[in-house]
Amino acid sequence: MLELSLHILDIVQNSLAAQASQVEIRIREDLGKDLLTLEVEDNGRGMSPELTRRVTDPFYTSRTTREVGLGLSLLKLAAERCGGRLEVRSQEGKGTKISATFGLDHFDRAPLGDMGETLAVLICGNPGVNFLYEHGVDGQTYRLATREMREILGPVSLDEPSVHDFIRQDVQQGLKKIKAASFPKIMEVLR
Amino acid sequence: MEKMNLKELAERMGLELKTQNIPIEGEVKTGYASDLLSDVLANSIEGDLWVTRQTHLNIVAIAVMRDLAGILLVNGAQPDPDTLEKAVEKMVPIFRTPLPTFEVVGRLYQLGISGER
Repeated sequence: MLELSLHILDIVQNSLAAQASQVEIRIREDLGKDLLTLEVEDNGRGMSPELTRRVTDPFYTSRTTREVGLGLSLLKLAAERCGGRLEVRSQEGKGTKISATFGLDHFDRAPLGDMGETLAVLICGNPGVNFLYEHGVDGQTYRLATREMREILGPVSLDEPSVHDFIRQDVQQGLKKIKAASFPKIMEVLR
Repeated sequence: MEKMNLKELAERMGLELKTQNIPIEGEVKTGYASDLLSDVLANSIEGDLWVTRQTHLNIVAIAVMRDLAGILLVNGAQPDPDTLEKAVEKMVPIFRTPLPTFEVVGRLYQLGISGER
């Protein structure tokens, strides 16, 4: 996939399909270690050890309509292509945690993409699910939690169009503030 | 094979020029097609026209580092706004076509652009 946000959208769909009511998306950029870590953790129905093992196999899927599901395989490929790896941990009845690492400034690291739009789509499209997004760059962190948003919004539902715009802009501005690296810093070579 | 510059090539292929006010009169003889930036860095040669679906800022960096003739975006992809800005600053022509890579490369080949290294 061209952008990490598209991978995230895809992985979170797995969480939603597994009936998760809580989805936590965490991104950490460690400039010193040249490492980007992406975690998606849910409280969905989880997977058996056998399924957990096979889930990154491109010829495996839990869908019945199609023979291959590629979401996690593609994420694994994207991570390994730039010196990282993918780890899947799951417990039946408890939930699943996906962790992927990427070389932050590796030439082939996919750009972050539009996290604002991605989160707006996820949150507004699933108003009953609690989402948490945390994005840290070294010491600084941007955080968005639907639980806190609901307290502020009161009777306004999360699927209102104005909420969509608010989320998109808040994330975009928040990420700018903490200087999130949208793509590897190859351009700086030229300066 | 007749000599061709980027401008003629763009006209014959119906490519849309995205970068304005930078020269596109240089001759172009070879091309390279890939979406993996490290691969382009390793295998492209000076003067290549680079065919890709990637649109982010770093494609300009690769084009400058390898001294490529220009970048041709396929599948109707639009360059990101900062990509376009940097391309003009660094004088890297960016073109765009609705065609997919396979079709584009075939037509380029017919027009005499080779992939020879």
